[in-house]
Amino acid sequence: MLKYDEHNKYHRFIRTVLITAVSLIAFVCLWWVVSKIANNAAIPEPFETFEALIDLVCNGDPVTGLSLTTYVVSSLSKFLRGFLLALAIALPIGLILGNFKRVRAFVNPWIEVLRPIAPIAWAPIFILLFGYIQGATFVVFIGIFFPLLTNIIFGVTKIDKVLIDASKTLGASNMQIFLKVLIPSTVPYLMNGIKVGLGIGWMCIVAAELYATPLGGIGFYVANMITYGAFPQAYAGIIVIAVLGLLTTGLAEYISRRVSRRMGMDV
Amino acid sequence: MSKSKIKIEGEKYDQERVRADRTDELYKHIPEGETLMSISGLRVVYVTDEKETVAVEDFSLDVKKGEFISIVGPSGCGKTTILRCIAGLLQPTRGKITIGDRECTSPGSDRGMVFQDFALFPWRTVKQNVKFGMEIAKVPKDEAEERAMRYIKAVGLEKFADSRIHELSGGMKQRVGIARTMVMHPAVILMDEPFGALDAQTRNIMQEQLTKIITRSERTILFVTHSVDEALYLSDRVVILTKRPSTIYKIVDVPWNRPRDRANPEFTALRKKILEYLEMQNVMED
Repeated sequence: MLKYDEHNKYHRFIRTVLITAVSLIAFVCLWWVVSKIANNAAIPEPFETFEALIDLVCNGDPVTGLSLTTYVVSSLSKFLRGFLLALAIALPIGLILGNFKRVRAFVNPWIEVLRPIAPIAWAPIFILLFGYIQGATFVVFIGIFFPLLTNIIFGVTKIDKVLIDASKTLGASNMQIFLKVLIPSTVPYLMNGIKVGLGIGWMCIVAAELYATPLGGIGFYVANMITYGAFPQAYAGIIVIAVLGLLTTGLAEYISRRVSRRMGMDV
Repeated sequence: MSKSKIKIEGEKYDQERVRADRTDELYKHIPEGETLMSISGLRVVYVTDEKETVAVEDFSLDVKKGEFISIVGPSGCGKTTILRCIAGLLQPTRGKITIGDRECTSPGSDRGMVFQDFALFPWRTVKQNVKFGMEIAKVPKDEAEERAMRYIKAVGLEKFADSRIHELSGGMKQRVGIARTMVMHPAVILMDEPFGALDAQTRNIMQEQLTKIITRSERTILFVTHSVDEALYLSDRVVILTKRPSTIYKIVDVPWNRPRDRANPEFTALRKKILEYLEMQNVMED
């Protein structure tokens, strides 16, 4: 008989996989029980849903005829554009705000007013301004921008002052300190911001697509299926969303951990 | 403190064809044993909302070229404050610090500093840390590599040249800090309780190694410590401060050759005398 060994890497891995599998099976059973008790079309049974999922993967959207790949690519490309835009804008602004106390004091009220607004609240406005596709991109942008910005500002203000002192006694100018000390020491905080931002951004993209993007997007598919009353199909779309979200945040988590280790810091 | 001042200092070096990474060359004309740095009438007042605290009062000291001076004093006196003023990291309320005929008003690579908590860049390797100042001074890559490796060897870390800082022990970290400062050939080296964060055993080893390094290459060092033992083991002169507001109580010459024997009766007698004074200062505070 195999015995479980806490210090064996593979044993630990197998145990994690087993626990996760059992947990997922239990979840599906629970879902089934709930759908039986509720006895409502809006909560389909797991089996129907999986059937619809397989159908979605193989044959695409029965209404529009678009394939799942088209939907996913559409969502991901909007997501990526929103993310890159947020990064490109939050990074310089965060570095400036973190560095200059007075500018920060001046701009802080703006941030505090805008930050708590749910990104999705902007969706109708952005769609009106930029059209369906770019509108969704901007909703993602807003969702990622604030966690990124606040993390960068935090990182800059958290810098170890003695590192700046050391740089000065090694002859560094303010500009050199900014480039060679401040920016690298902010990187782990930036990664943390990206991690948080991606999670929120992913929720935003799907929500923004619920406003119906004619050219696809997985959120649109879900919304459309619900209007047709095709609930198993809608749930299949939700599963796709969940898996993709898990993958994006998992990737971000992995990269962030690698970077932090490489930079010799833990945030 | 401002950017323009740093620039002016850089221009000065250029004029004399001396790079920021070889500031000791600026003072070649000053012979060993002559005054290199002079601190006169230093006064530092900390102002907080409620009151003014005089940390340092009328501190004057001439540091000779090639000399190792320690500053000791009762805990909480302005030892570190004095060092930070010399480094240019703190603006004194009054007083003047000059090296040769140059007045020091802002930080510069002519006054290298070793910090108590190492102040190493965690995202850089050992070698990249040692190279930092040379990158700033735009030393050619080959030369920087060669010099960095020479100093890493001098502190016995050649096997760890490509290690990251978090992989090192405290003693190793401080050896990186020392190499990073020494590689720049500063005119004066300031050390702010460099071994204060180390355990007693490592501390003794580091003191011994520092002695070896300084006897091999003559450096001018100002060393702040709270350990009288350490001061007597390392220095040519020991400056004893009074309690706050700190001023010089006495300067003790340490005549013995290096390496020194801590068990020597003269050594222990002198240590006892200085400790008694410091004890008295601390008691008076209560």
